[in-house]
Amino acid sequence: MPATSTLPRDVATLALRLLQRHGVDYADVRIERFLHEELVAEGGAIATINHTESLGLGIRVLVHGSWGFASTPHLTARLVGRAVTQAIDLAKAARLINRQPRPLAPVVPARAHHVSRCAQDPFAVPLAAKIDLLLAANQALLGPDAIKRATTHLDFFRRHKLFCSTEGAEIEQTLTESGAGLEVVAEGEGRSQVRSFPNSHHGALAQAGFEYVESLGLVPGATQARQEVLQLLQAPPPKAGETTLVLDPTQMVMQLHESCGHPTELDRALGHELSYAGGSFMTPDQLNTLQYGSSRVNIVADATIADGAGSFAFDDEGVPAQRVDLVRQGRFVGYLSSRETAARLHLPASGGAMRADGWSVPPLVRMTNVNLLPGTGTREELCRGIEHGYLLSTNKSWSIDDQRLNFQFTTEIGWEIINGRLGRMVANPLYTGITPAFWGRCTAVGRPEDWQLWGVPNCAKGEPMQVMHVGHGSSYARFDGVMVAPAQ
Amino acid sequence: MIGATRLLSDLTKLVKQTRADEVSATAQARTRRVFRFAYEAVHQDLHQESLTVMVKVTLGRRIGVATTETLEPAALRRCAEAARTIAEHAREQALIAPAPWKHRLRVREDYLKATAQYTAADMAGHILRLMQYCQGLGVALAGSAMTGEDELAVVNSQQVTCYCASTVAGTKLVTMHGAASGYASAVSRDATYLDWDGALRRALEQALQPGEPAALPVGTYEVILEPEAVADLLLWLSYTAFGAKNLQEGSSCLAGRLGQRIFSPDITLADDGQDPGVLRMPFDFEGTPKQRVALIDRGIAQGVVYDTLYGARMKHASTGHGLPATETEGPFPLHLVMSPGALPLAELIRGCARGLLIPRFHYVNGLLNPREALMTGLTREGTRLIEEGKLTAPVKTLRFTQSLLEAFSSVRRLSRERRLIADPAQELGCALVPAMHLDTFRFTGQSP
Repeated sequence: MPATSTLPRDVATLALRLLQRHGVDYADVRIERFLHEELVAEGGAIATINHTESLGLGIRVLVHGSWGFASTPHLTARLVGRAVTQAIDLAKAARLINRQPRPLAPVVPARAHHVSRCAQDPFAVPLAAKIDLLLAANQALLGPDAIKRATTHLDFFRRHKLFCSTEGAEIEQTLTESGAGLEVVAEGEGRSQVRSFPNSHHGALAQAGFEYVESLGLVPGATQARQEVLQLLQAPPPKAGETTLVLDPTQMVMQLHESCGHPTELDRALGHELSYAGGSFMTPDQLNTLQYGSSRVNIVADATIADGAGSFAFDDEGVPAQRVDLVRQGRFVGYLSSRETAARLHLPASGGAMRADGWSVPPLVRMTNVNLLPGTGTREELCRGIEHGYLLSTNKSWSIDDQRLNFQFTTEIGWEIINGRLGRMVANPLYTGITPAFWGRCTAVGRPEDWQLWGVPNCAKGEPMQVMHVGHGSSYARFDGVMVAPAQ
Repeated sequence: MIGATRLLSDLTKLVKQTRADEVSATAQARTRRVFRFAYEAVHQDLHQESLTVMVKVTLGRRIGVATTETLEPAALRRCAEAARTIAEHAREQALIAPAPWKHRLRVREDYLKATAQYTAADMAGHILRLMQYCQGLGVALAGSAMTGEDELAVVNSQQVTCYCASTVAGTKLVTMHGAASGYASAVSRDATYLDWDGALRRALEQALQPGEPAALPVGTYEVILEPEAVADLLLWLSYTAFGAKNLQEGSSCLAGRLGQRIFSPDITLADDGQDPGVLRMPFDFEGTPKQRVALIDRGIAQGVVYDTLYGARMKHASTGHGLPATETEGPFPLHLVMSPGALPLAELIRGCARGLLIPRFHYVNGLLNPREALMTGLTREGTRLIEEGKLTAPVKTLRFTQSLLEAFSSVRRLSRERRLIADPAQELGCALVPAMHLDTFRFTGQSP
């Protein structure tokens, strides 16, 4: 199958012409071609190799203050015309209910072309080379009978999209992502343990080419994961009680995602997710007043960062990528936003966070790369002075309440910290807290040299559910007075 | 709707044209019309059409899979060629699962024209009516409503030809009144029979519960879980416990416990994709007809579900629980059916001296320690305190951390009424379940 090809601009032009003929207030058309190649090995053999190709069009219209959206994979003139009618019919039906106008924050219509950085096109790498890497990493996971599952995967994505609007925008982007990871499950004496590398949640993912996957060190990582999962079968649980935690960047990914990323989505704060994902304690009246964390906490949403799984040049309503402050020196100062939600708050412009997971669905306010900015200090310096605490790594389970306040995480692995030094391994560590109280007790953030950016490919939101690729960057971070318990 | 004739003819042609030892082609077509609303406005609506065609090719002991999202002949040929190319490059498998063999099925009884023809204006009219009713009570309403059509077709080179079509409609309603809130959902194959008013009544009853929300201390409580809450827990067990892969890996809470009592004798649970009470599906994504599988019989662990691969690995026939060929999570149940109890829910509440009535859970996660079925999650809208058999106050959000092996061994009663729980705008999977009255349920945290 072709890895790249041109998109049918004439279809976008046709759709816009039809929409303008219907006198809509605003409309945009998004045509996307999507490629995904997935290779999975289990137990030393190939489990599946799958190639997915998709092409379709989504039309979003605004008619007298009401949105309508329709999509189709059929790019014939007749069926594009039908999708135009369906979108307008939906907007008109919503007009039966909607009474208020729906202004959009302004944007300068761009005509642009963007191709993400990719040194080695993953779709041009011979399949045999990918299989060799996959199996080498998978076979390194195999071992004693206690190993019950050994899974390795490679994933390559390409999104080629054309965005055109009635305001005159015409933006073409090609975004290529590469990722890989492995997971090993061991069982013994009625206990089951899991260990992942280089991270859980499907491993590592970046806007990059095959070179990124080669740089991950999957084979040595597999050996380490196998050793650790067997050690976890014998490891004691942590002691229950309040203590100091040092979280490594692989766990900070989910801490940022759940307790900062989601609650700063402005559509959510305005109630748009109430029937599914919930609301947010970071409501508009708290903007610029809420003390979210300690003065060491600086969090940004950065769609411009190189290699981020949440990076792009323009979002899916044609707004340029930006770096937006969410939390500055502990104060809540900004939202992830769209043109509509920014206008609701009388913000001067959208924060450029409208993203759709494909042509068949409308964009929603999504995370880009929500990152904790680094501080100073090595991991050892962060541990120094801790009489008894834990270093926790690699998220295993995650849960947070519908206002994003009460969270609970478990990690795959942890180590005791005794008198500032790492001690024995602990299994099944669990910690829990309340978002602003937890971030308020952030007493240190590690140095830039240890700062890591991770891609998360499974952020779910919306009805129908859209699964977005987002990024989170962090160094090590230390939190005092955290409630820890064994998950058993 | 694409229709049986077009889908089966295109897939049959594709299977015949593809040179391989075995070929299987699966097409899944879906239409969804969704309205989402909050605070007297529709903020999102959409008409989504999607189609996925998956081709699996076997060459000797090598397998390749490719997917496309169109029925254009050239794209289908490219897709089959990609699957062949992958198979040529793939390594030999130790075990090739036999494809389902020689049967024909065409099932359209769950496709209702009334749902397919339900218009956007019909749906908006219902939402407006509910909003106006809530306004009259000083209650804010949020939620979603959807209708949809589904088609699934499987054709393989072993003379399997299957097609089914169905429709579905659903709504989820959140009601907000001061500091109290409520939630209810409804689902039906027939949009004209969707119980909008029943769902609203339940959600309003919760939101209009008098009293300020109580902040309860953490600890162990008696609970009555309404069907949505029961389904939230069971659907996680489907994923972590009731599939052959979980059992083989030893991560399932059934591993090493088959034939043993793991739950209360009141619990009998099966997966039954042919039960008319669920969003039934006559065959799986491999084309194997669905079988009823007893998972728990009067508290005793009975078995798990299989697809062809795990059936071959574990020397068991497929039970018709194969997922799309790209899935590597193994088979799991999608149509849970729990046997009901003898008393109405109201009687369960009257029989509770002090406990919580929980309509649904939020953000359940069953990965803490799957072997012990240890899960966490939170209460959300509509949770209320029961004192001396009466509902007395709304309750603030609580977090539970609880092993289901322990909780489901403490069943006091199940309700006579069962409700079908599904979220058809989101995902496959449904559960037909009663309410459960449990003696012990451990809450480990509270939200402010």
